[in-house]
Amino acid sequence: MELFTPDFGLIFWMFVAFAVLFFILWKFAWPVILKNVDSRADLIDKGVEYAQNAKQQLDSARQQAEEYVAEARRQQAEMLRDADRIKTQIIEEARSAAQVEAQKVMDSAKVQIQQQQKEAEQQFRNQVSEFALDIAEKVVKNQMSDKQAQTKLVNTLLDEIESKN
Amino acid sequence: MNKILIIFTAIFACLFSAPEIKAAEDSHGESKLDPKEIIFEHLGDGYGWEVPFNHHKRIPLPVIVFGSDGLHIFSSSRITDGQEYVDGKTTFKLAGKDSDFKGKVVEIVDGKELRPFDISITKNVCGIFIAVIIVVGLMLWLRSYVNKHGYKAPRKGLGFLELLIDFIYGSVIKSTLGAKSRKFAPYLLTVFFFIFIMNLLGLIVIFPGGANLTGNIAVTLVLAVLTFIVTNLFATRHYWKEIFWPEVPLWLKFPLPIMPAIEIFGMFTKPAALTVRLFANMMGGHMIVIVLTLLIFIFAAVSPVAGGATTVVSVLFSIFMLLIDVLVSFIQAYVFTMLSTIFISLAQVEEEHLKEEHDHQLQTK
Repeated sequence: MELFTPDFGLIFWMFVAFAVLFFILWKFAWPVILKNVDSRADLIDKGVEYAQNAKQQLDSARQQAEEYVAEARRQQAEMLRDADRIKTQIIEEARSAAQVEAQKVMDSAKVQIQQQQKEAEQQFRNQVSEFALDIAEKVVKNQMSDKQAQTKLVNTLLDEIESKN
Repeated sequence: MNKILIIFTAIFACLFSAPEIKAAEDSHGESKLDPKEIIFEHLGDGYGWEVPFNHHKRIPLPVIVFGSDGLHIFSSSRITDGQEYVDGKTTFKLAGKDSDFKGKVVEIVDGKELRPFDISITKNVCGIFIAVIIVVGLMLWLRSYVNKHGYKAPRKGLGFLELLIDFIYGSVIKSTLGAKSRKFAPYLLTVFFFIFIMNLLGLIVIFPGGANLTGNIAVTLVLAVLTFIVTNLFATRHYWKEIFWPEVPLWLKFPLPIMPAIEIFGMFTKPAALTVRLFANMMGGHMIVIVLTLLIFIFAAVSPVAGGATTVVSVLFSIFMLLIDVLVSFIQAYVFTMLSTIFISLAQVEEEHLKEEHDHQLQTK
């Protein structure tokens, strides 16, 4: 059978052709191509690793951000509470200060009123005494028209003074 | 995509043109159909390359022979149709059908046919050169792309080429050979692409395809022998120790070297298996398609109606078989590469590795 007996010429040329093919590819093609394939595989590996790291970092960053937000909320709430407290305190203080001031004003007003009252009383008294003296003068002038009555009064007064001393 | 389309169109064209060729053949007087002759003519080698639609005209190829008085180079067109060619004092002709050297160039000395030392550029040799040119072209194309674009991934045709390289290099070579893959990858990848391109060229029926390259035992033999050489040339010391002094009871290796004999036999069965597997698979595929096509003429000789019916069935089956052969082309190239990788990796064993495995087995027991 011709098919099962290898022909020498074909073996020879096949060997030569393969040697040439292998030499050309080994010299020019495979180093470049395989290096490219390897470096791309490395690049992809690195890329995947990088992406995983990035994801991890992103996750932790997100967590951190959430923590920060929670912390900020907490601080905000605290600040609000503080502000509230300070507000009430200020109002309280203001109120008490106002009270004190009002008290002062009232006190001074009272004092003034009292003084004025006193002054008024004094004035009134002076006037009353003036009126009284006037009246008395007039009365005395009328009564002291006769001598007897005058002497009698003087005596009475003198008696009084005497009895006082 | 366009290239694939062209390939398929070529296959279809040839399928449908086959009846015309045979009809032409019939009208030339070769009325008797000899299926065996046609099958072996198509599967075998030849000194010229057939052109489509004409069975008699062939593309002449150079014949290179060392006759009894030295080197002779002449065109194959000089010895077609039983012509004798006289070059100097020597006469050459194509041996006839009854000769021992049927279809080969013979030298006529004193009326006897002598087979000269023949390294002619036959159809198969020419096909091998075409395959080499295609593979070199593809790889240099990819190389220039890589040099230009760095590791940016190529698209379309080159993308497919790189996908194949990545597939063979990544999932066959790297996963088997590990750290040593860079050392053997050039050989294995060359083998893969050479076989793959030769397989596909064999499926294209017209020039530059049509030569049954990987279905020829000489071609697969050379490839298997190369794998054998690479395997044993780069083998570790431990591999040789395993062959000549394996770890078996003493009586198995001394005084009668039973195990070494078996191991040495095993060294040679591996390339033999490689040779026959690729050869038989590819030749089988080609033979089925040819037989399916021939069925048309066998039945047409019986009756025109049977011939017509068989034409439809045969053509459909041929298309189916050729499509399967495209798949087989890839699978056989892949299997050859994979087995070569495994054979090479088996010769790369290190002692410590084996010991570890042995210990591990003991522990598990």
